[in-house]
Amino acid sequence: MSVLIQAQTTAAEVAPSPGRGTRVLRAFKATPFTYATLTVVSALLSVPLVFVVSIALSSDQTVNANTFTVLPHEFHWENFVRVFGTELPMGRFLLNSVLISLGAVVGQVLSSGLVGYAFARLRAPGKNVLFMVVIATMMIPAQITMIPQFLLFKELGWVNTFLPLIVPNFFSNAFNVFLVRQFVSRLSSDIDEAAMVDGLGFFAIYWRIMLPMLWPILIAIGIFTLTHAWGDFMGPLIYLNDESKMPLSLGVQYITSTSQALQAPPWNSVMVGSILLTVPMIAVYYFGQRYLYEMDISGGSAGVK
Amino acid sequence: MWFYVFVSPWLVGFLVFLLGPMIASLYLSLTEWDTFTAPTWVGLQNYVTLLRDDPVFWKALWNTFYYAAISVPLGLALGLWLANLLNKQVRGQRAFRTLIYLPTLVPLVATAMIFKMVLAPSGPLNQLLGFVGISGPAWLLDSDWVKPALIVLSVWGAGGATVLLLAAMRGIPRELYEAAEVDGAGPIRQFWSITVPQLTPIIFFNLVMGLIGAFQIFSQVYILTKPVGGPNNSSQMMVPLLFNEAFSFYHMGYASAISWLLFAVILVFTLLAFRTTRKWVFYETEVG
Repeated sequence: MSVLIQAQTTAAEVAPSPGRGTRVLRAFKATPFTYATLTVVSALLSVPLVFVVSIALSSDQTVNANTFTVLPHEFHWENFVRVFGTELPMGRFLLNSVLISLGAVVGQVLSSGLVGYAFARLRAPGKNVLFMVVIATMMIPAQITMIPQFLLFKELGWVNTFLPLIVPNFFSNAFNVFLVRQFVSRLSSDIDEAAMVDGLGFFAIYWRIMLPMLWPILIAIGIFTLTHAWGDFMGPLIYLNDESKMPLSLGVQYITSTSQALQAPPWNSVMVGSILLTVPMIAVYYFGQRYLYEMDISGGSAGVK
Repeated sequence: MWFYVFVSPWLVGFLVFLLGPMIASLYLSLTEWDTFTAPTWVGLQNYVTLLRDDPVFWKALWNTFYYAAISVPLGLALGLWLANLLNKQVRGQRAFRTLIYLPTLVPLVATAMIFKMVLAPSGPLNQLLGFVGISGPAWLLDSDWVKPALIVLSVWGAGGATVLLLAAMRGIPRELYEAAEVDGAGPIRQFWSITVPQLTPIIFFNLVMGLIGAFQIFSQVYILTKPVGGPNNSSQMMVPLLFNEAFSFYHMGYASAISWLLFAVILVFTLLAFRTTRKWVFYETEVG
């Protein structure tokens, strides 16, 4: 879902506005009401984010007394430093998030590229049936397999390690396979046919010829995988119990849940954690959005019609 | 047979992480199992208990419906409205669009943390309401307000639908609006007679995907409500209930049965949505 939302965001920047003609049609004329509404809505949606920054910069006393304000009135930048000290293991959380996310991205990129290429180009009996199975698996909610998967990983002794969160990614994901297949189908097959005539094997074709052409879609898949793994909460909640193993998404929640019931959570540190959780996602989106456009053609149209 | 070598990662993953677990889950749903002793075969008993004797399950089912039925259409309607405003010739359009889209980039856990703070009984929202003389409820601690609070949280992400629908609006041929203007149709009439019909396929797609996603709500409920599911189970939903049964009480059989009922609900809604498409979804390819 979020995949498709993000996928099409850049289309907005590519397509010219229909209002930008020689003459503005009435349907595209902005009125004072348009500006007023957009201003109010943008402001309302932004208030929580401004609050986050304000609280992250508040002193402990301000937070305990609940006297923080929307706009920051004090600037305790040291809040951003001390969460990495001995008091809170935020540095550890961050490192764990990076390790889990990178493992997931490497797995998806390696496996989805290979499998998607095979579904687009190679020939074998039963291929079409298998591809229908790929599509069908997208409809099955993860909760069905959650319990047996947990039992499997427990049996393997993988509970409280990163492995249950990383290893399944090396077996590709149906949606990513679908995206790569669509992408490869749009590429001309002249080059790989020529390479085959020259006696190159399928694997060499994939590695030397396809992969350099596939990287835009693989970067997009990497971004989706990263976003998902970075923000995942349920997976770490099921598999990781030690504080030293938790990623940031679980760690931030852990800080609030372990504070005494009567005592308010250390909101300033929690908000510093939320900022650490959010800023990389904004950066990834900002630098990666042109690659997300790749998905518009394949994912978007196929999904809609 | 290079094909099978190349797809082996997916094939192995499908067998080990999907098909195998699905069969295991189906079997487990017909047993009673606490993971410490051997599973006991109980036939359809788990399903019978869930559907006939478990008021909490029905409450969770109702709450999930309630949440999905309000949050998804509300988010889409808001997105459609905002996209239509942004599609006009607006100065500072990029800035507005960025501000509206920004919340959707915030990871769910961080969003939940933000709203936990905003919705605290003496938190900013109630302080704001206090200024205008309204004494706000305790939101997440109040059984009547916890579901609306979760809906507010989901609507904060309406920027996703906005940007998506805006992109789709830009693809609507300008000639349609020109012709409508010649015919004397006003902007509101044009919105309902051109913009909305042209967007129905994408609205429909997002409605279905949104409902499927909403039925699986978990993190928000788990993080924001205490005990999980809110006061008196007032915000208990399908997946948090399943999670509790499986990982707090080790009722693996019962929890597996819940997961299959969840699958059934999602399937029924998806099929229902597709059955109604002919009535209201406009596909350009069907014309002419």
